[in-house]
Amino acid sequence: MNDAVPAPALAEHAFLRGMPADDVARLARAAVAVRLPAGHRLFDEGTPAKKCWLVTSGHVALDLNMPGRANLIIETLGRGDVLGFSWLSPPHQWQFGAEAVESTEAFELDGATVMALCDSHPELGYQLALRFLAAAVRRLQATRIRLLDLYAAPSQSAEAR
Amino acid sequence: MSLQAVPARYRVASRAAETCDTVTLVLEPVDEPIAPHRPGQFAMLYAFGSGEVPISISGEPGGPGLVYTIRSVGAVTRALCEADPGELIGVRGPYGTDWGVADAAGQDVIVVAGGIGLAPLRPALLAALAARSRYRRVTVLIGTRTPDDLVFAGELDAWREQGADVRVTVDRAAVGWRGHVGVVTQLIDRVNVDPAATLALVCGPEVMMRLTARSLLARGVSSGSVRISLERNMRCGIAECGHCQLGPLLLCRDGPVISYQRAAPLLSVKEL
Repeated sequence: MNDAVPAPALAEHAFLRGMPADDVARLARAAVAVRLPAGHRLFDEGTPAKKCWLVTSGHVALDLNMPGRANLIIETLGRGDVLGFSWLSPPHQWQFGAEAVESTEAFELDGATVMALCDSHPELGYQLALRFLAAAVRRLQATRIRLLDLYAAPSQSAEAR
Repeated sequence: MSLQAVPARYRVASRAAETCDTVTLVLEPVDEPIAPHRPGQFAMLYAFGSGEVPISISGEPGGPGLVYTIRSVGAVTRALCEADPGELIGVRGPYGTDWGVADAAGQDVIVVAGGIGLAPLRPALLAALAARSRYRRVTVLIGTRTPDDLVFAGELDAWREQGADVRVTVDRAAVGWRGHVGVVTQLIDRVNVDPAATLALVCGPEVMMRLTARSLLARGVSSGSVRISLERNMRCGIAECGHCQLGPLLLCRDGPVISYQRAAPLLSVKEL
């Protein structure tokens, strides 16, 4: 599947919810709906980053190449998530790899087209910047929580369940 | 000392390893058994010669034997985890409040567990699955450190077959893991929630419960419909000693299960 995206469908995605209709309509012209079979690799670490995806169903794993071993999954993304930040800023290279864990559907946005839209429509750029910032903050917070290692064994002096 | 405070002797009928530091014990009564428990309640387990600790009951009410899932984190829990079949353990209880899962009849039930927190939730989940038609969606979201730290791993498929949407996420994936990776609160963002008709039951480390409750509230679930299981230093189990005080609550009597509406103001007070 590689279809044009109706603006109302795009507007329903959690990442874009609340965005002015005109801006969503502009973005819709840069989007295609894609269906990714399980095992499909979207990108690999170190390759040029040119796109992003708004996941609508299924799951995508962000992974890290481990020479001599299978890739290590560092995070999974699913419905409502945005996949792909590296196209936004230099060096425009993917920092991790990504692979569909199961059959996954997403709206695929072309980075160059979106950037051109943002240049010509700064209000759209502002709306997108806010959303990417919010998504980055959520990822950062989730990463910090994981760093807390909440489920590790408590102090040996404490009794627990 | 009241009769309620005298331990009944139970014999270890079986011991099964859940993870490298967690076991599930099934106990059979030697003396008069303790009263039937409700999902979410705990009992004081006495490892003779070591001491006594509060442990939530992880087996279904009315099931065979008393079931406890225990993580070895100190001298007493280590002694309990190492108890061989045939050994005696003292049991007092059951104590405290329950999950009240029946309150969700006609509604959705969301169970959110962090690590060993799945153990106190298991009886409530089993009760919901045993009366599956009474509830709408039953969703189970489990966060754990690594795939190897997942408790009740052998039961998840059976829960799915009984109509539960069971999802597991790990903080750290092992090579070969193909499931979710990330914190359990991220799973909440990905499931359907009917905020007006949802009862959420949450158990895990206190920070995890607070963040989970925050995520549920962000999805529109009211704080009165989120229940968490708290623990403090339960000693007597009968609201006499005060060791488990949390503000106006004695958690062995008023907890361990309380609504987030009641707990939230207490959890933000330092040194409480």
